Amino acid sequence: MPAETHMPECNPFVEIATALFLEDLATKVGVPGLNNYLVSLSKNLANTMPREEYASWPEFLGALVSRQSILATFEDVAPVTEHCMTTARSPFDRGWREYAKRVGAFAPVHRQVAEYYNTNVRPTAVTSVHIVLHTFREAAAARIKVSGKGVRYETVATAWLDGQVIMAPDGQLDGLLARAGISRTKLGMLLRNHADVWILEPA
Amino acid sequence: MLDVALASLIEDMIEKAGADGVVEFWQRVGDALASRMGKEAYLGWTSFNVAVREGRTAFSIEGDVTPLTDMAITDVDGDVVGYLYAMKQCCYVPTIFRTRYAVGRMSPADATVLEEYNANVHNIAVCNFCVFHERFREEIAKNVTVSGNPLLSYLLATRGWSGETKISSKNVVMININEEHVRALLRNYECVYALVMRGARLKGGR
Repeated sequence: MPAETHMPECNPFVEIATALFLEDLATKVGVPGLNNYLVSLSKNLANTMPREEYASWPEFLGALVSRQSILATFEDVAPVTEHCMTTARSPFDRGWREYAKRVGAFAPVHRQVAEYYNTNVRPTAVTSVHIVLHTFREAAAARIKVSGKGVRYETVATAWLDGQVIMAPDGQLDGLLARAGISRTKLGMLLRNHADVWILEPA
Repeated sequence: MLDVALASLIEDMIEKAGADGVVEFWQRVGDALASRMGKEAYLGWTSFNVAVREGRTAFSIEGDVTPLTDMAITDVDGDVVGYLYAMKQCCYVPTIFRTRYAVGRMSPADATVLEEYNANVHNIAVCNFCVFHERFREEIAKNVTVSGNPLLSYLLATRGWSGETKISSKNVVMININEEHVRALLRNYECVYALVMRGARLKGGR
């Protein structure tokens, strides 16, 4: 995609306001309620996007890299293998830094809701925004067909701006790495300077 | 990404709480954010306007703000008690276009919320985010002092992504500025507001 047709950058103030919006929501509906809201809004977002179809896996990977796929709407996706995807910079990076600079430390509810999500839904959220990201990717992947087959999303590991890394639990990690086609050492190498390592594979 | 997801959240919340509920929610968020910004004090308008230009004030969180130092606001005695401030780009316009290019259409939630606000609160909004940041500015103005006086914020004029403009008749009268002067500013700016010293005896004051 030519540079001039890239998505415009958002004003980080809108992301700060959204974070405050979620904090206010949490005071009304609690941590489980906020988790449900985040899951629901991410699914709604993905479901408002058009479905996609690709003739082959290489064509799909090309669409990810050139940001033509809905899965690459908010992040630069770099495949490491056929099925292992990486995101170098979190799409929430700017908003988080602006919040920290202008407002201060994030409210604890963002971590609390991630812990709730890790226990009850999927294990690799560091903070609230990862609930949005993981749910969106899963719902968006379900709208894509490659060679007539659906696409399945799995998360392997998430690294947040402060350096905190959450990987899939030990019992699942080896299986996920085998499906991704990378070793533990390679995962460690990627997590040094990437925000996310994830899997896309035929369903 | 969170900004585009916000459009989905607002669509969802309109179903659950109604457009009036979303307006209340946004205003409460404006209060909450302002309460976390802390207090600021400036010796006078010159130091405040330099701080605005350099992006050092709480108002700067919204983006680049230009102090229009040729447009001073005077009180009944002719003393300068405030200035006009303007933003070249509305904070929310990039998000509106990001939503358009992410989803393929503009979010209908935006118009629903702004119509509710314009009809029942203040006829000045050109997007749902105006609801939040009009309140946000009013609240942070209370925490900023110039020459020892806390400030008051008056939102004067807005221009939306589709070119639609709104001018607040009541606020324009309050600070005694010609409406055509404000309209001319909208050729170059998308959001124009006034900051004045609280308690100043404005020529248009009630």
